[in-house]
Amino acid sequence: MSAPAPAPTAIPPAASVGSPEVPFGVNEMRLNGRQWLIALSIIACLTWLTPRFWEKCEEFSTGPDYRIPYDLSKDYWLYARRLRQERDPAKILLLGDSVVWGEYVLPDGTLSHFLNQQAGTADRFINGGLNGLFPLAEEGLVNYYSRELRHRKVLLECNVLWMTSPKADLSTDKEEQFNHSRLIPQFFPKIPCYKAAANERLSAIIENHFDFFAWIGHVQNDYFGQRSILNWTLEEGEGYPPRYPNVYKNPISQITCRVPSAPVDDPQRGPRSPRHRPWSEAGQGPTRFDWVPLESSLQWRGFQSVLKILRERGNDVLVVLGPFNEHMIAEDNRAPYRQLHDGILSRLRQNGIPSIAPEPLPSELYADASHPLTKGYELLARKLYADETFQRWLTR
Amino acid sequence: MLFHTWPFLIFLLIVVPVFFALRNTRLWLPWLTIASYFFYGWWNPYYLSLVVYSTVLDFCLVALMDHCPRTTEKLSFWARLSRPRFADPVLKLAFLGSLGLAVCILALAFFGPRTLRPAMGLLGALVLLMAAGALYSSRRIWLLISLINNLALLVFFKYARFLVENVNSLLAWLHVPFKASDPSSLMPFGFQYLLPVGISFFTFQSLSYTIDFYFGKVYRERNFLRFATFVCFFPQLMAGPIERARHLLPQFNQFPPIRLQNFTDGASLFLVGLFKKLALANYLSFYVERVYDSPRAYGASSLIVATVAFAWQIFFDFSGYTDMARGVAKLLGFNLILNFNNPYLATGLSEFWGRWHISLSSWFRDYVYIPLGGNRGRLWQTYRNLFITFFISGIWHGANWTFVIWGALHGLGVLLTRELERSTFYVERVPRLVKQAGVFLFVCFTWIFFRAESLSDALLIVRRIFTAAWSDPQVPLLMVGVVALVWFYQMLYESRFRELLAAGVVRVGVAVFMVLYLCLCSSGGGAFIYFQF
Repeated sequence: MSAPAPAPTAIPPAASVGSPEVPFGVNEMRLNGRQWLIALSIIACLTWLTPRFWEKCEEFSTGPDYRIPYDLSKDYWLYARRLRQERDPAKILLLGDSVVWGEYVLPDGTLSHFLNQQAGTADRFINGGLNGLFPLAEEGLVNYYSRELRHRKVLLECNVLWMTSPKADLSTDKEEQFNHSRLIPQFFPKIPCYKAAANERLSAIIENHFDFFAWIGHVQNDYFGQRSILNWTLEEGEGYPPRYPNVYKNPISQITCRVPSAPVDDPQRGPRSPRHRPWSEAGQGPTRFDWVPLESSLQWRGFQSVLKILRERGNDVLVVLGPFNEHMIAEDNRAPYRQLHDGILSRLRQNGIPSIAPEPLPSELYADASHPLTKGYELLARKLYADETFQRWLTR
Repeated sequence: MLFHTWPFLIFLLIVVPVFFALRNTRLWLPWLTIASYFFYGWWNPYYLSLVVYSTVLDFCLVALMDHCPRTTEKLSFWARLSRPRFADPVLKLAFLGSLGLAVCILALAFFGPRTLRPAMGLLGALVLLMAAGALYSSRRIWLLISLINNLALLVFFKYARFLVENVNSLLAWLHVPFKASDPSSLMPFGFQYLLPVGISFFTFQSLSYTIDFYFGKVYRERNFLRFATFVCFFPQLMAGPIERARHLLPQFNQFPPIRLQNFTDGASLFLVGLFKKLALANYLSFYVERVYDSPRAYGASSLIVATVAFAWQIFFDFSGYTDMARGVAKLLGFNLILNFNNPYLATGLSEFWGRWHISLSSWFRDYVYIPLGGNRGRLWQTYRNLFITFFISGIWHGANWTFVIWGALHGLGVLLTRELERSTFYVERVPRLVKQAGVFLFVCFTWIFFRAESLSDALLIVRRIFTAAWSDPQVPLLMVGVVALVWFYQMLYESRFRELLAAGVVRVGVAVFMVLYLCLCSSGGGAFIYFQF
């Protein structure tokens, strides 16, 4: 850099003010205002029409005892579609987590099945449970995907399992991975253990608000194993070096226009499944739970939001508290449970919400802390159906 | 904040309307500066201080340079020391100020906390050099300080660990019982030792201004905010294009004219960039990552396909980023330079570098190759200059021997093919497609070194390409299809059938296709490759 410094040359006039002209780019993708307007109109039409058209074309058979298959638990568009299919206002939706869905039982062993049996109908009670759901996510499910439920009767399950520990309540500071994170409130109230990046949170909000994006989720869930089409083409098979079974497949041929159904005889569920056995046989003993007080419980706050949304929509809600496996609670841990249980009931009553807290089932009818076995569901349905509050709610 | 994320969309939805709302006030420029700093601070607010530091120092250095006489007067070193009188009060102030500051900093270096000593020592020396600059009224010293400062930032944050590791290995090999400590131990106040995103870009941009001013190519910018916005203008802050003061600074002189075309062009560029990044680069990266992460597990065909896929991945990734950057700038009414011009259609290596990362190539040409002598000397000197330029360009890309080899290979390639590319035989007789294929193959070969995790991995890949068995590469047909489609589009664009692409129906159709494809197929995605440089 030893050159003598010359006097500054003038900045070229073209560059001195405003924007100098530079080549646009190296492609012809340069739309003018009119072309953008046309393109955006086409895109708007397609995004509005496609989910509606798809609903007409895609085969989706539900029938009695239908529940959203385990593998499609995150297909919220399908959930909304299912509710749209159940147009009869006399039908009652059972809303809740895997207790309503029936974690250990087959579709004909669920609460809705036995309630229908009690009522002598085939499908008056609809299984609206989702596997892995919890109150904070239920809030999103009801808010965005259950609009069809307006002015209908809803049986809402309240599971104290979600208040058994700060971790279950999602109120710990340590980051946790959990199901249905796209349904939970993304920003407010703050869920301390949910540490997703802002982009992920905003994506969830957008997906929940725009039918088209939820529909894309449906296509990915149902035909591409919960992956994007691009990821699906590179899905890893078994062995080393790994094989990629989908690389030469045509992605379009995957779309069969038929919603996949649950396996007829799910080896993981039902009386013949090894999982279908009393909790005490699974090696679990009495447990001490770190109960979260209602005042500080995020899940309880979520549950209250669900109730609020449903009531604002004119739903006639009946809350079923439990059935929690009280046999599993250590002796010295029962008092706080009882306090929580009674607190929930009294708050519901204060708000004029009919509620039932059935007596605990016999110990051998529980598979774990909250999920009954088939016989448990049968007994629970019988108890509920015989309950005066239930009958009053049913007939009003 | 990445361009293809929702937070950026929200950021843009706030920045653009406020920017236009402020058009009749003097606040539009501060708003742009604040937005740019916020954009950078989103990544790491502490490291924003580096951008500010580099900006403030270069602004002041150029101001001081402007106060120095342009004619270089021969002065005796000792005579000047014994006669510290100043014709210019600013220089006097600078001398006294920097001398005082240097004493304080050096005192801190000697008597302050142990962790601060090395950093304070270096800073003190730099400030002492500033005092010398003021004392001797030397433009050259100010330029030297700017060079040292910017390059020191770059070296410390980008290369220090690499240098320390290599020095330690060498010392161990020589059985010297000394081990240099990791640079992270020099970080003051317990700051994390990270590579600041875009450091190579903003330091080069700031540096180009000082060098251009020294050589009289630009006027001194007197408005600090305008200069700060030039250095940190958010669309190109993280990964370029590296703008020149001559081109970008005057654009901040007044509020840009509001035209519908700016919006439509900006949106067009942004959409193309988004498509390149999300639909193409990210998709290719899935395949490339798998193969390059465990090269031993794959046969020759897979390694070849992954290398070609990486060639396209890096092109789509970086040119996609540039398109988005240019699109965002265009939305605001500013023009950024073209950075990519269908490089894989180049018919020679020199032409390739005229089409690939144009802003960096021209930077190295103007600030390294030409100052080294360019092609003004003998032939061997030209070759030497070319090789050194490419070698430094390789180092610029990253602190790893793989990048050094990559740069050296390109340097050698240009050296070996320079005369051939100028020959009549090559220009007239060799079919265009053959030339393009030759360049593409060579560039792909060099990408092996660029992409491999380590030099041993790169050598393993090269060896396996020639020795391992051929097997089914298992590359998705969809991937082949979309890349072929883009390649075909580029070929068409450079052919006499280009007008076909300009038809309104085609443009609208392609835009609709890209949006729907992005919605249906993309799966989000990671950061841009060039953010690491």
